[in-house]
This record gives sequence, C-alpha cells and structure tokens, in this order.
Amino acid sequence: MADKPVYEEASIDGQPPKLASIPASDTTVWADASPLLQAACAGLRDGELIHGDNFNLFAAMSALEIMDPKMDSGIVCTYYSIDEAIENGAAPIPISLDSTIDVRCTIDIMDHLLACEAAWHKGHSLAQTVFSCIYLLRLDRTAPHALLHSYCRIIRATCKAVVSVVSDARTHEEEDLFTMTYGLPLNGDGDDKCLSILNAVEETISRQLRACKATSSKRRLPEDLEPLQSNSNLEEGFCKALLCRLRFRKHFFHVLSCMKRPQGRGLESARKHIASCLTELESILESADFLRSCFDESCEGDIDDKTTASGFEPIGFDAMLNSRLSAPTPPRAIKILSWKKAVEYFVKLLHDLDVICSYSLDPHLESLLRFVVQFQKSQPDLVARSHLQLLLVQDGKLYGRDPFFAVINKAAALPEATKNHDIQKNESFLQLGMLVMNLLKILCTNAAWQRRKLGKFLQDWRVIYVQLELAFRNEYGEVSSSSNDENTCMKIFQHILLWVEEQTYWIAFRFLILGFELELYSTGEYCMVYWYLYAVLIKLTEKTHLMMAVSHDTAKRKGKKKKDSSKDLARESRIPPAVLFLQCYICLAEGLTMMLAALRNEIPVFHSPSPFNTEHEKFVQHFELLQRACIPDHVSYPSYKESTTHARFSTLAMYNYFKDAQRIAKEVKSSFSNDPESRLGGRWGRNVPFGWIHFSSYLK
Amino acid sequence: MEQEVGESLIQLGNSDGSNSSSSDPVTRVRKLLFRRMLVGIKDGRFFLGTFHCLDKQGNIILQDTIEYRSTRRSSPSPMEQRCLGLVLIPSSCQNSCHVDCSVEEQLSLLKAKMI
Repeated sequence: MADKPVYEEASIDGQPPKLASIPASDTTVWADASPLLQAACAGLRDGELIHGDNFNLFAAMSALEIMDPKMDSGIVCTYYSIDEAIENGAAPIPISLDSTIDVRCTIDIMDHLLACEAAWHKGHSLAQTVFSCIYLLRLDRTAPHALLHSYCRIIRATCKAVVSVVSDARTHEEEDLFTMTYGLPLNGDGDDKCLSILNAVEETISRQLRACKATSSKRRLPEDLEPLQSNSNLEEGFCKALLCRLRFRKHFFHVLSCMKRPQGRGLESARKHIASCLTELESILESADFLRSCFDESCEGDIDDKTTASGFEPIGFDAMLNSRLSAPTPPRAIKILSWKKAVEYFVKLLHDLDVICSYSLDPHLESLLRFVVQFQKSQPDLVARSHLQLLLVQDGKLYGRDPFFAVINKAAALPEATKNHDIQKNESFLQLGMLVMNLLKILCTNAAWQRRKLGKFLQDWRVIYVQLELAFRNEYGEVSSSSNDENTCMKIFQHILLWVEEQTYWIAFRFLILGFELELYSTGEYCMVYWYLYAVLIKLTEKTHLMMAVSHDTAKRKGKKKKDSSKDLARESRIPPAVLFLQCYICLAEGLTMMLAALRNEIPVFHSPSPFNTEHEKFVQHFELLQRACIPDHVSYPSYKESTTHARFSTLAMYNYFKDAQRIAKEVKSSFSNDPESRLGGRWGRNVPFGWIHFSSYLK
Repeated sequence: MEQEVGESLIQLGNSDGSNSSSSDPVTRVRKLLFRRMLVGIKDGRFFLGTFHCLDKQGNIILQDTIEYRSTRRSSPSPMEQRCLGLVLIPSSCQNSCHVDCSVEEQLSLLKAKMI
C-alpha cells in the first residue's frame, strides 16, 4: 500500500477531510459506494448474502463486531490516545501543587498499582492492569517527581522480571494473558539502576522522618532538610507510610533476583528478603488507618472494595487507553482486586515462595515428588509455581546440578557407581530422562492442566517401558553372561524397568486422585472410581514392595552401616512402612467401593440410571486413558461389575476394611518416627488421611 | 452519454455476456467483492479491508482489516493504525463507505444510476 495521500482533485462527491490521510494508491481513488450498496440491499431477498467463493458462514461468525463493547477494543472513549489524555491533564506532574495532597495521591497511586499487580498475577492482561497507569506508559515524563519516578521504575523492572520467569517456565498457556505484553513499554533504559534510584529516595525520606521526629522532641538536627510535605502534623505518618511501601518494593525485587540465581544459590538470601517483605506489608496495612483519617473528607462507598488504603480513587489510570494494545480479541471486563485482597495475595505469594526457598534440594526423587505434591495442596498461584518449576528443572538437570540419569539411578536403588554408566547414552534411557523432567514440569502446573497432561503422559510411560523391556530382552535374552559389565547393565535394566512401572502406577494414582480435587466425578461414579483406585493401588503396592526388596539388596551389598544386624534382619522380615501405608490406602479404597456398591445394590434410590449415558459408557469415559495404557492390565468394566454386583451389607459386615485401615495407619505412624531412612520412612508423606479414616469409621 | 454508459456496461460485462444483469445493483456490488473498501463509522474511526460480504440489512464484513483512528479529537491529527483481521461492521454504525477504484470506473460504475 502506497503512503501517498489520495488525489484530492479527483474527488467528485467531496471526500471528508480525514479520508485524505488514508492512502489509496498511485492510480486509484476512493469512490463513494454507499448509494450502490443501498440499492443492492434493496434488491436482495431476505437472508440473501453477497459473498465470494471463499465465504464460510461458520468462519464469518468469528468476525469482530465493531461497536460491540465485548468485541471491539477500539471504541473511542474519553480520550483518543494516551497523548491526548496527558494533554488534557489526566496524569498531572506534579499531581497537586499542595505537597500534602501530592504525597497522598502518590501513595494512592502506589496502592492502586499494587492492586493492579495482584490482579495481573491472578491471570489478567498487563495492559488492563499495571499498564493502565498513564504514568507508567510515559515513564520519562515523571522524572521531575522523584518519588513517582523511582516507584514506577521499580514496578516496571519487577514486571519485566516476573514476565521473564513465567515465560521461561512456560506454564502460562493455562493462564492466557499473563505474558502478553503487546508492545507495552516493559524495557526501559536504565532500569537496572532502579534500585539505586529507589535507595536515594528512601534515604531522603528517612532523613525527613528523623527530622520531623527531632522537631517534635525539640531537638534540632544539623542538616536543614526540606520536609516531605507542608502539614507538620502529618509528616511522620506520611513518611512512615511511604517508607514501608518503598522498602516492600525493594525487598520484593531482591526476592526475584535472588531466586533467579542458578542451582538455588540465592534461596537463603531470598528468605531473608521475604521476611522483610512480610514485615513491610504489615506496616503497609497499619498505615491504612492514618491515611484514611488524615483528611476531613471521607470517601464514598465500602472501604473494603477500594483499591487504595486511603479509600480515594487514584489519579492517572485509564484501562481503556490501552485496550487497543491488547490483542484484537475481546478484552474481558475485569475487576481490579481490592487493596486489602491485593495485600493478602502478596502475603500468600511470599509464603509460597518461602516454602520453595526452604526446600533442601533433596537429590532423592521420591522426596521431591512428595514435596511438590504437598506444595500444590496450598494451591499456589502461577508466579509461585513458575519459580518452583525453574528451580527444579534448569539446563536439563535437576536443580541445574544433577543429571537426570543420576537421579533415576538413585531412585531405582542402583549403586552410586552406575550413575555414570555409558548405558545412559542409549536412546531409551535418554528418553526416560526427558520423561522424568517433563513429569516434574507437569507437577508444577495447576490442577486442571496437570490432570490433563498426566492422563496423556501415561501412554508415554507405557511406551518407554515396552521399549526398555524390548531392549533388555534383545541384549540379555539368556541370563548366561558372566562378564561384570554385562551383569551391571542387566542390573540397571532390571532395576529401572521395575522403577518405571512403579512410577507409572504412581502417575495413574495421581491422575485419579486429582479427579476428586477437581470434582470431576459425580457421586454415582464414586464406586467405580474407588474400585479403579483399588486396582491401581494393588499394583502400585506390589511394585513398591519389589522396589524396596531390591533396594535392600543393594544396601546389603554396599555393606551395612548399622552394626545391629539382628535389628536389620527383623526389619527386613517386616513389611516396610511405605508399603504398609499403601496397604492402608488399599483397605480404604476397597472398603469404600464395597460400601458404595452395597448401597447401590440394596437401596433403590442410590441406583438411578442416568438418562444420558450408561454406566459402561461412563466407565470408559473416565478411565479411557488408563485403559489405553493398560494400567493396570486385565481391568475392565465387566470385572468391575463382577466385583461389585454381589456386594450386600450382610456380607460386608464380615469384612473390616476400615478397622484394618485404622490399625495399619497406627502402625505406620509409629514406624515413621522410628525409621529415619528416607526411602523406608514415608514415601507418600506425612499427610496420612486420618480424617478419611475417621469419616469412614463414622459412616460405618 | 449513452455510448459511455454502454461502453461501461460492456467494460464490466459478465463472462456470459448478458447485458441486462450487469446493470442490476446486486451484480455490480458482487463485482466489488475482494476490492479494498474503506468504511467510516460514527465514532470517527475508519476500517480498511477487503470487501467480503454484504447482507440485506447493510451489514458489511471486511477481511484483513486495518483500523485507522486519529490521536486527537480535533483534526488535523496524526493517524494510528492496527490490524484486526475479519471484522463485521453493522449498518447502524456506518457513516461512509468508499471503494478503491480507477478514475474511469468511478464515473461509470459507482454512480447509482438505478436502472
């Protein structure tokens, strides 16, 4: 398209002046087609369209409708552009000539930005939240206002850091708009100096605070410092309010920088900064009373809904100005979090980050999996989860330090010496390493995404098992070789095959349990879900038990660390606590299945067939992914029916599923405290579902 | 004059050569399909795209649309543009509608000589 304006002399019917700036081309003009179109419309039959061969009604339905507020992000509102808004005084610098009001308004802006930031973290677009601030959009013009300028700079640098973490983790597909910046000015020159700029401002205000305190106690300080604002009664309150806000931002930025350091080197420092952040947030909350009371005018509306501590509306924000910078796709109407909720959000975020920073970077995979599952129970948000993922998987290694083959080697109870074995260069082992890496990434995503991915993942784990088994059989079809190295390779294969199976059943177990968390099962389907869980748990326990036996062998060969051989023998003959724990789960699952089956069989109201699909169809729908991966084998709808059709309360009374579960759980609990070795002492975590047991007993 | 009209009719004559249908507005608008069209709307914006569809109510669908808007309420002012893709402009918000064409075509084709 040529850039030249239209030939004005060619206009016959008087083109509007604006048209002149939209180029046609060298040889063409804009000709008014409205009369012709009107005539054509009159000539069309009802429902008839004028369209070309490439027209598709279904595709046409995706067209953006202009002037529909839900679809047209460009509807002209108050201002045509950011520059027009600025020219009309929407974002004045200074905000007010009265220094007291100027300071209060600056604090309002800081508070509103915090609320916007929390809304953004929760999953809204940057353009509608943080960058609805006109001051941020034209940061350079804030230079004369040191406070605003330093604050905006650090906000911009912080947003950039967070975007980079979430982008690197690539968990953001689930949370749409988070990383889309659409050309917003996130990269600023000199933002790396934002901390020093902030420190300078903080220093000034600290001195102003000291000065006003000195004045109140009638002591004169040598330096003659200009106060922050003109009302001496309010000076101390405002200084304190500002200081905690500035310090919070400083420490938060440090948290992000420290956590970014590779191999978890900055985690301890990060914890210190997190603690400081939490302290400052408390001070920020306390400052609200002062800010609300310092002016005679009270604000309208419910204070809890406000996005600022003072309750006043902040100056200099307009979300519509940026709506065109969001994608042409529909801009969602969003509500910025209230200030109180924003502070709560950051408190939770900091606590979640603290949990991550306290993690000991345990090289044992099973402890790590337990940690991640436990962490996810607190429902951390995207930013925290991205940080966890980046800590766990860096440069294709665990924690950026342990190669995945070494991790698998340890998890499969192989001796230390084999972790550098050449067999790891084998294609299947490389793929297995990738699978473990992907498993960790998947476990860091949100529950819904996680379940979906885990379901599909089962197939990959099944395939790798088959591949490894094939490779094993090809190499060692006959167990006759006597060479040391071949023995080692064989052992590696055997251990890892067993470990892969165990891991696959663990994933299946997680997949089914997540269905409860996501409330994907209707109550009528609980029976079959518990039954399937029972089937999976049986297999999982079997593999875990085998794995433990095999790890005992390895320990025996390594030489006993403890001298008390009789105690060890006794321990070996006992069932390991981890397995007992699983047996406890099995009892529960079986008990619940039978109980629900009996209810359904004996009490008609529990057995109302759905008008939509049959029980068989539901079975297939829920367990299709598991069935396809043959997890477990020989489990099908007919076998489910066979197990449950004859369940009756009269027969059930003979079994003590729940009592058994309770007994085993007590035994397990005591053995946890006795057995310090991590592998034996609690594979599935301390979150024994005692509540579950009590509930079931109550039902009985 | 008649010769000119005749020439123009021949100029945009259909491949099937039937002259009577080529003067029908519907057919003439059909000829405008895939041409660049500039639609102005009531809030002052302009949409430039390929003419894709028209219905009886006068709603227009444009393809590969670019939105033009001025950056100040008062003119003259620099224009901003952004790409939108497939766009439907309801007839209720349309202000103007122009088609990109050669000078000769403008004289003959677009004069609403409803025959």
